Amino acid sequence: MMAMNRWLRHVLGVAAVLPLLFGALTASAQTLNVYSIWPENWAKPMFEEFEKATGIKVNFVRFSSGEALARIIAEKNNPRVDVLFGGPVETFAAGVSEGVFESYKPPSFAKLPARFRQADGQWVAIADDPLVFMTNDRFVKENGLKAPASWNDLLAPPYKNMLQMADARTSGTAVTRIFSILEVNGRDENKAFDYMKKLRPNVQLYTKSGGGGTLPVGLGQAGGGIFFIVDALDTKAKGYEVSISFPKEGIGTAAEGIALIKGAKNPETAKKLIDWATSPAMQNQFAKYKINFVPAHPDVALEPSLAAVLKDAKIFPIDADYAGANRKRIVDRWVAEVLNP
Amino acid sequence: MSCATSPHRDPAIAATAFALWALLALFVLYPLAMLMGRVLFDHGSLSTAGIVTVLTDRHQVQAFWNSLLLAALVGLAGTALGFMFAFTAARARLPRGLLTAMDASVLLPLVSPPFTTAIAMIFSFGPRGLITYHVLGLKGVTVYGLPSTLFSEVLTYFPIAYLTLRPLIAGIDSNIEGMALSLGASRWRVFRTVTLPLCIPGLANAFLLLFAASLADFATPLILGGNQFPVLPTQAYLQITGLYDLRGGAALSFALLVPALVVFVLQRYWVSRRFYVTITGKGAGQTPFDSVSNAMRTALLAACLAVALVIAYFYALLLYASLVVALGANHALTLQHYRVIFTDGLKAIRDTLIIAGLAMPLGGLYGILVGYLVTKKKFIGRRSMELVSMINYALPGTIVGIAYLIAFNDPPIELTGTALIIVACYIFRYGPTGIRATVALLQQIDKSLEEASAGLGAGSGTTFRRITLPLIVPAFFAGLSIVFIRSMTAISATIFLVSVGWTLITVKILENITELSLGPAAAFSVLVVVIVFVVMAAIARLMRVFRAPGAMPVTSLLGG
Repeated sequence: MMAMNRWLRHVLGVAAVLPLLFGALTASAQTLNVYSIWPENWAKPMFEEFEKATGIKVNFVRFSSGEALARIIAEKNNPRVDVLFGGPVETFAAGVSEGVFESYKPPSFAKLPARFRQADGQWVAIADDPLVFMTNDRFVKENGLKAPASWNDLLAPPYKNMLQMADARTSGTAVTRIFSILEVNGRDENKAFDYMKKLRPNVQLYTKSGGGGTLPVGLGQAGGGIFFIVDALDTKAKGYEVSISFPKEGIGTAAEGIALIKGAKNPETAKKLIDWATSPAMQNQFAKYKINFVPAHPDVALEPSLAAVLKDAKIFPIDADYAGANRKRIVDRWVAEVLNP
Repeated sequence: MSCATSPHRDPAIAATAFALWALLALFVLYPLAMLMGRVLFDHGSLSTAGIVTVLTDRHQVQAFWNSLLLAALVGLAGTALGFMFAFTAARARLPRGLLTAMDASVLLPLVSPPFTTAIAMIFSFGPRGLITYHVLGLKGVTVYGLPSTLFSEVLTYFPIAYLTLRPLIAGIDSNIEGMALSLGASRWRVFRTVTLPLCIPGLANAFLLLFAASLADFATPLILGGNQFPVLPTQAYLQITGLYDLRGGAALSFALLVPALVVFVLQRYWVSRRFYVTITGKGAGQTPFDSVSNAMRTALLAACLAVALVIAYFYALLLYASLVVALGANHALTLQHYRVIFTDGLKAIRDTLIIAGLAMPLGGLYGILVGYLVTKKKFIGRRSMELVSMINYALPGTIVGIAYLIAFNDPPIELTGTALIIVACYIFRYGPTGIRATVALLQQIDKSLEEASAGLGAGSGTTFRRITLPLIVPAFFAGLSIVFIRSMTAISATIFLVSVGWTLITVKILENITELSLGPAAAFSVLVVVIVFVVMAAIARLMRVFRAPGAMPVTSLLGG
C-alpha cells in the first residue's frame, strides 16, 4: 500500500512536470523566483527557513556572479526572476550601471552603515566577507616556513610558482585583494604595483573564480593563496589540512548583497524576502548552518568560533567611492603590468 | 548530379527542404541575427567603437592564434588517434570481447562530464600530482598550459573521429584491397594507395569536427589553459561574465566563425575533387581481407591498449573519488555521495533524462535528413543549408546560449524557462555530427543504386526508405548517440538556458565542484557514465533489429 502510494506520487510528479515542457513556469501568489550567487549548500537552508517563517516558496537556481548578472542583463525586457541573492556588491554595482535593479529600502536600511547599502536602495548588504591567507600545512612545514603573517612573507622563495589567487578580470575577490594591497601601501599605486610584480613569479595560476584555488591548495598542488574567509573555512571543514592567517599590515573585506529585479513579476513576495534577508531573522541563522559570513546587521552577534578566527586580525573596509572611481583603470593596469607584462 | 531530383518533380523533397529551412531559420539564423543586432547596435545606434578596441587588443589577437594552433593540433592528433582505433577495430581481426572492451574505453572520454577530467589532470599531474610527484618524483611541474590542454582535448574528442571513421572503414569493400594485394602490392602499399585514399572524406570530416569542437571548447582551457595560454572562447566567456561586456564577448566569438568556415570550405573542395564510391551494390560477398601483418596487428593493439589504459586510469580515479569522503583529505570509504545525488539530485537527473531523451531521436533524424538532402538532392539553397547547419556547432557554447537567451526571452517566441529551449539547443548544436557522418557515408554510395530504384518506379520517399536509409543507418545511430551523449554532458551553452523549472546534472556537477564537494560531483559523473552505457547498449540492440539484409555489416558502438 505504501509502495503504491509512493509510485502514485512519482507518476503524479511526472504528470505535473509535463506541462512545463512547453510552457513557462507560472508563478502563483506565494512563490518567488531567485537567482542565487551563494552556493546551494548555503542558499537552500536559508530559503527553507524563509518558507518556514512566511509560507513563501522560493524557486531558485545558482550561478556564479558573472553568469547571474549576464543572464539578468539579457533577460532585462522580460525578467525571469524577482531577486538576485548573495554575491559580492561589486556585481551589484555593475548591475546598477546596467539599470537592472529596482530601488527598495527594507526596514533594516536605516540601521546599516553606509558601505552596506546603495544610496537609493538598489542593493542592500546581507553579510560581510573578509579576505584571508590560506596555506597548505604540509607545504609550510616541509619548507620550514610559518603561516604567512605579512604581505611580504608571500614573497619568500619557497612560494615560487606555488600560489593561486583570483584573476582581477573576473573575480571580485581579486579586486578586493588589489585594493587591499593599495590600501596597505598608502594608496601609492607605484609602490603597490611594485609589490604585485614581485609577487607575480610566485603565482602559479590566477583562477577565474575567487574560490578556484582553494581545492589545489587543499590538495597541496599549490602552497597557498588569498581567499575569502568563507571559502577558506569551507576548505578546512572538508578535512583538508590548511591554515588561515592574516597579514599584520591588514587586509580588506567585501560585502555580499541582495537586490530587487526591475520588472519583477512577484514584487510583493520579493520585498518580503529582502526584508527577511537584511534583518537578524536570517542573519542569526548563519551559525546554525555553519555559514561563515560576518553578519551585516549590527544587532547580530558574531558566532564564537568565527570570532576566534578573526580575533586580532586587522581588517579594513574598502572605500567604495575610491574603488568605484579607480576600479577599471587599476584592473587594466594590473592586466598590462602584472598578468601579461 | 545527373540523378538529382529537382523540387518541381518531387513534392516530398521540396516539403522536407522547406521544413528544415524553417527550423534552421528559427533556431540558427534568428538567434544569431538577434545577437548580431545587440553587437552592432549600441543603445539604438549603429556603432563599432567598443568592438574594434576589443578585437584589436594584442592579448585577444594572441588568444585568436592560440585557438587556431590548439584546434589544428587537436584536429590532427585526434583524427590520427581516431583513425588508428577505427582501423584496428575494423581490420585487425579482433576477437569480439576485445572489440567490446575497446569500444567501451573509447566511449568513456566522450561521456566525460565537464571539469571532472580537468580536475583529475590537476590531481595527477600538478606539482604534487599522483603521477608527476608521487610516482615519477618530479618537482616544480606546471600543469597549466598548451600541453595539458591539448592532451585533455585530444583524449576527449578523438572518439568523435573514431565514431565517424569506423563505419566508413567497415564500409570499404575489402575485395578492392584484396585485389590490390593479389596484384602484388605489399600490405603497406595497399594501405597507402587504396585504403587511406578511400578514407579521405571521413578523415576530412573528422578533422573538421575536431577542429571546430576544439575551437568552441571553453571548459577545458578554462581550467587547464592557465595564464600563459589564453584561447578565444575562454576570453569571450570572461569578457561577458567578468567584464559584463556582451558586445565584446560576442564579437570575439564571431571571430571564431571565420577559421571554422574556412576549414569547412577547404575540406569540401578537397573531398569533392575525387571519387570515393565503394558501395555499389554489385559486389559479391565480402571476403575478409588480411589488411595487417601479425607484427603490425600487435603494434596497433599495443598502441590502442596504452591509450585505453590512460583513459581507464582517469575513470578509476573518478570512481574512487565518488566512494571516499573527500579525495586528498579523507580516504575512508562511503556511499554517502550516492545517497546525496539520489535525494537532492533527483530532480536534476529526471530533468536531464527527459531532455536528452527528447533531443536524441530528434537530433538523429535531423542529422540524416540534412545529410541526405545536401548530398543527394538538388534544391535551392542546398550549399547554404549545409553551411548554416554547421554554425551552432562551430560557435562557442557560451555564445549559442546567450543568443538563444536573447532571442527566446521576449515575445513573439518565448521559450526561456522551458525544456524546449534546451532540447532545441542540443539538436542544432550537436546534430551536425550526424550530418557529417551521413555526408561522409553517402559519398561512398554509388548513385546507380538509387537510380535503379527510381528507374523501377519508386518515388523519392520509397527510395530513401528502402535503399538509402538502410545504408546510412550507422550514421543515424552515430549521430543520435553523439546527441544523447552531449546532451548528458554539455555545460557551456546550457548554463544560460537552465532555469528555476529545469536544471541539469552537469550544472549540479559544476555546483558541487564550486562547493569543493568532489564526492557528489564524481558520483554524478559516474552516474552519467552508467546511463550513457546502458543507452548505448540499448542502441546496439536496436541496430541489430534494423539491419537490412544484404546491407554492409553494421558495427555497433559497443561491439554488438
